[in-house]
Amino acid sequence: MAAMTGQPLPRLGRLGRVGPASLTLLCALFFVLPLLAMARFSFQNVPMIRLGRSTLLENWSASSSLDAFGEAEFRRSLGLSVRLALGTVALTLSLLLPTTLWVHLRLPKARAFVEFLTLLPYVIPSIALVAGILPLKPHARWFLNSNYSLIPFYAVLALPFTYRSLDAGIKALDVKTLVDASRSLGAGWGTTLRRVIIPNVRTSIISASFLTAAVVLGEYTMARVLLKQTLPAFMEQYQDREPQGGMGLALSSMLLTTLLFALLGVLTRPRRRTRTPRLEIS
Amino acid sequence: MTALVFAGVRKTFGSTIALESLDLQLAPGEFVSLLGPSGCGKTTALRVAAGFEKPDLGAVSVNDRDITHLPAHKRNMGMVFQSYSLFPNLTVHDNVEFGMRTRKVESAERKRRANEVLELVQLGPLADRFPHQLSGGQQQRVALARALAVRPEVLLLDEPLSALDAKVRGSLRDEIRRLQLSLGITTLFVTHDQEEALAISDRVGVMSNGRLEQLGSPRDVYRQPSSAFVARFVGSMNELPATVSDTHTAVVSGVTIPIAANPGAAGVANGAAVRLLIRPEDMHLDAGTADAGTAEHRHLPVLPGTIVLNSFQGATTVVSVQLDGMETPVAVHTSGSESTGLSGDRVAVRIDATRMVIEPV
Repeated sequence: MAAMTGQPLPRLGRLGRVGPASLTLLCALFFVLPLLAMARFSFQNVPMIRLGRSTLLENWSASSSLDAFGEAEFRRSLGLSVRLALGTVALTLSLLLPTTLWVHLRLPKARAFVEFLTLLPYVIPSIALVAGILPLKPHARWFLNSNYSLIPFYAVLALPFTYRSLDAGIKALDVKTLVDASRSLGAGWGTTLRRVIIPNVRTSIISASFLTAAVVLGEYTMARVLLKQTLPAFMEQYQDREPQGGMGLALSSMLLTTLLFALLGVLTRPRRRTRTPRLEIS
Repeated sequence: MTALVFAGVRKTFGSTIALESLDLQLAPGEFVSLLGPSGCGKTTALRVAAGFEKPDLGAVSVNDRDITHLPAHKRNMGMVFQSYSLFPNLTVHDNVEFGMRTRKVESAERKRRANEVLELVQLGPLADRFPHQLSGGQQQRVALARALAVRPEVLLLDEPLSALDAKVRGSLRDEIRRLQLSLGITTLFVTHDQEEALAISDRVGVMSNGRLEQLGSPRDVYRQPSSAFVARFVGSMNELPATVSDTHTAVVSGVTIPIAANPGAAGVANGAAVRLLIRPEDMHLDAGTADAGTAEHRHLPVLPGTIVLNSFQGATTVVSVQLDGMETPVAVHTSGSESTGLSGDRVAVRIDATRMVIEPV
């Protein structure tokens, strides 16, 4: 941040330098220690009562987690969750990108309202949302019986993240002028969206997609109440049955999400496009 | 044949009338500027021509073809915008090719024409740059090249110079005119800068509140403004409160000025209060004695006053004179080589009554 504002940071005293560092360390411990505990529980075949300093290096094995990975039900639920994530990403982008663009171009006054509206799923607990769905079940059994009926609900759940991400990307562009320019050059709406808008909000689209995937891969309440065997639902059941393997699953899903977000960071890094140094000719 | 015609074009936004009823015809190859303050409807007129706004009433045609209901992307117009409008994800070359791609021009021809227009705006060497690597002036030249590359029937320029700094603005202005003349392309230029409009147009249309107040050559608009609004908006004006004593003379703080030769004199009643609008260069300064000043101006009525400020600006000197019995000083332009006197000097200001606008109040 300091680099962005261009102002030098005030010089910190010795205590000032130690303060932030120890705070960072404290926070890191707060996150890492439970993970280490989870790792010991799931990968060390030592009775709980004997877990201590002396047994730190005894009997490490990934077998219980590998057993979990080997379960057919695990692969089925993972497959379903991945398909749900892809479906939700597709639905979200195809609906939300044109909508956000439309709001920016034609209804700029409605932006505050739309922003409020898209924030609601964040404020309303999932259980309340799903309680609203259940009474519909007798009327829409054909729909709710399908595993994929979760997709529209997940799209709604992800709205607070996806809308904000796309909104920020579009806000950074002078989208009205770009659209006018594109249309005056003979491009219809489809071409304008494909060749002008999407390439310029690429970063936002990627982060919206990852955030959506993360919401879908971690959602439990709706899946459980609507009796869909998604990955989180399976993990919960498996944990009851095989505590050690279940914990291993939880840990690996957490690592997977972290990796996803690291990948997101790499993909959305501003591309360096400078081929030649800037030269003024006038 | 007319290249671009607005016939009774009316456009309202809610209760705001952006264009009352615009009638305007551009001959092929003509450069017409629409000049006016913000909100006068000039940009709306341009956007109607481009197809971004649909008129409520009236019709627009290009080369005698009615295009009123043709969507923007099917019109063959080239447009340059006020804000930088290059596609950030495309290189200069690809930006210029964009319009030809949508028109399905084949690749070799596309490349040839892109290079050609980039040479025209002298940006050939920068073809591989991205917009963010260019200065504002360069970006607008690329935008101009991009608009020209599609060989448009009409070129529409929406204040393309106003985001640039003064020096670049002047050179790009002249470059636009040079290109326009050499390509013979019909151009509609929208600006709020009267100097720009006067400098490069064949005709200037001055707009106010959705109406075209006057349309004429830059010289006519400046020298013979049809209304007090045009007179004030184009160039600067001194304003002298006066009373019409009979229809032949007006009295300005005791000095009688003959106005019979002025076309505006016919419409004012005897005894009416008016304002006389006079350009600074139509006022002449001298010592006020019988033999002072040039013979050419010696017969003109004289208003006595005191110099408040003398500001030398190179080619001209702007002298601010407090006329006796007036509230605000008037500005008088003299050529830079004339000696004009110092602050506090008593002077005589001679006014040319044939060259003023009489505005009833």
